[in-house]
Amino acid sequence: MLEYQIFLDYWPMILLGFWLTLKIVLCAIALGIPLGLFLALGRRSNYLAVSFLATSFIELFRNTPFIIQVFLFYYVLPFYGLRLSAEYVGILALAAFGGAYFAEIIRAGIDAIPKGQLESARAIGMTDWQSMKNIILPQTVKIVIPPLTNQTLTLIKESAILSTITVHELTMTGLMVQGETFRPFEVFIMVALLYWALNETIATIMRRIEKSYNRNRKQSNKDKYTIDITKSSGLFR
Amino acid sequence: MTPPFLEILEINKRFGDINALKNVSLNVSIGEVICIIGPSGCGKSTLLRTINWLTPPDSGKIILQGDIIGSVTGKLTIKQNRLLNNFRARIGMVFQQFNVWPHLNVLENVIKAQVVVGKKNSEEAKIKAIKMLNEVGLKDKFDEWPDNLSGGQKQRLAIARSLAMDPILMLLDEPTSALDPELIGEVLTVLRNLVKEGMTMLIVTHELGFASNFADKIVFMDAGEIIETGAPREILKFPKTDRLKHFLDKLSITSF
Amino acid sequence: MKFDISYIFDALPRLLEGALITLQVAILGFCLSVILATLITIARTTFQSRIYNGFIAFYISFIRGTPILVQIFLIYYVLPVFGLNLAPFTAGILAITLNSAAFVTEILRGGLASVPKGQFEAAKSLGISGFALWWKIILPQTFITSIPPLVNEFTMVLKATALLSVITVVELMRVSQQIYSANYHPVEILSATFIIYFLMCFVVSRSSVILEQKFKVKRA
Repeated sequence: MLEYQIFLDYWPMILLGFWLTLKIVLCAIALGIPLGLFLALGRRSNYLAVSFLATSFIELFRNTPFIIQVFLFYYVLPFYGLRLSAEYVGILALAAFGGAYFAEIIRAGIDAIPKGQLESARAIGMTDWQSMKNIILPQTVKIVIPPLTNQTLTLIKESAILSTITVHELTMTGLMVQGETFRPFEVFIMVALLYWALNETIATIMRRIEKSYNRNRKQSNKDKYTIDITKSSGLFR
Repeated sequence: MTPPFLEILEINKRFGDINALKNVSLNVSIGEVICIIGPSGCGKSTLLRTINWLTPPDSGKIILQGDIIGSVTGKLTIKQNRLLNNFRARIGMVFQQFNVWPHLNVLENVIKAQVVVGKKNSEEAKIKAIKMLNEVGLKDKFDEWPDNLSGGQKQRLAIARSLAMDPILMLLDEPTSALDPELIGEVLTVLRNLVKEGMTMLIVTHELGFASNFADKIVFMDAGEIIETGAPREILKFPKTDRLKHFLDKLSITSF
Repeated sequence: MKFDISYIFDALPRLLEGALITLQVAILGFCLSVILATLITIARTTFQSRIYNGFIAFYISFIRGTPILVQIFLIYYVLPVFGLNLAPFTAGILAITLNSAAFVTEILRGGLASVPKGQFEAAKSLGISGFALWWKIILPQTFITSIPPLVNEFTMVLKATALLSVITVVELMRVSQQIYSANYHPVEILSATFIIYFLMCFVVSRSSVILEQKFKVKRA
């Protein structure tokens, strides 16, 4: 029934795909979180143009399928003269997609900080940016880590879609192996298990970190400031 | 004739349909302690918050030592903003809800603004912070997290945080209203010491006992206006207006 | 090359037809997934069997932990190996349903948790049990509290249907690919498709508020 030989023959190739998936997601997060912060602050800005642009970006990317975003990036960038390899296009698309979701998580996190925190910072003479940097954002970081982790897991899964623009990540590798072997069951189960293992590993590590963090610092803000992440993050997929 | 230390000139503020402040003017001389009393919603907190521009007034002027704070003509310029932040650094503000910073421990709470706003180096700031925390009686709590403090301790921490900036004026917005009765005393003791040191203070409060003993002047506000101003004895024992009489009757003035 | 808007106008009728198919696929898949998830939930509450619950937990974890695209491939390529040849459309609906049901089950678990235990007891003491207990008493309460996450899940399904283009289901994404591979104007066509998807998802996600209010009024 099961063709074990496929696992033996193709595991280096599959692992290479897995490694590219990891690299792409890491790059997308490294770009996406600053973008998300920028968009979140932009959406809260008093300047109408800035807030409109940030809001439009966030809503457009949150309310469309990732696959069409990928194709748009793939065709639009060269249209305006920017020729990049499929990997880079994929990273950019994933960063833009992630950034929109990160932005809403960060915004919800900032909004969860009581107004008095900002007021006390302003009253003692801090500028808007100093208050953000020293008082608001450090408190935000702690409450946004669980939803940001969730969103990261979403990005890992969404990265599979980059196979449609021929990025040789895990899913693409699976498709190629399937094309050579015609053993879809073995191949896709292997691919699925790798994604699953990665997701579970990250989720477990983050839970541990959170637990030990809460134990070390006997702070109880976590209960006080909570945010509704079900709407703002892609928690459900 | 020298101008007064702090001049509040014809301040108006509306929130939608509500006229929170109507043509409020008040002079404060150096070292003076003024308690502002009045029913809730009378605009006393708003008045305090317009002084450091936390709530920008619609019209009027705030003049501190001859310098105008803020500007009512639309958005502040970059220069005005910098000036405003300089003023705020020298005007201490204490809130009803303490607003201590929960992500910083007690010592860091007092150090932070000195370093960020006052541009002190951290050693200098630490020495100052320790001194201030000793003054408010928190010397054994340096490494504690604010969440583990009682309300009274939090408020004393907030006061120490303001004092570390060497303020020339303190604004206190109902500093004891959110406290359990048995914790009010420890905060009032700290305030009493400040009075003795000659700090200029504006205090919005319901503690008429404290006001009568330590204020130089009591201001009674109602519906966005200053109704009566005078020495504590005059205001509390011999109210001139019906509104003040009514207000005092409603309060159970057992505290003095 | 310049952005030529006339291509969008030419393609619009076909794109809108595709959008209609997308909506149909999404609604069909979502309804099936809600039915499946409801059955799973009722069975889980009624049987309290450890093996069954373990299996459901495994299913949910697997679906949540793997990309839906891989799930689509699994169903599309693997079922024929076992002699089950499904048309792309059927395979697509099946994939969407199995995927979404896992998430809807999680949503219903949350909704069910907000129904007080006393509701079960009160109904039973009145002699209501079995089908009527669930249909008349428990499920209405569960669904009403679950409206916002369910609407959110529907937008997720709507977005996921675009992935069915890779197994040649002719929905909006696939239609747009067909059009631009014929006229070589992907930027215009994809932009239009992007906007159509946005309008559909945006309207749906905003409808959550309206739905919630409607049911609140009814309950008051």
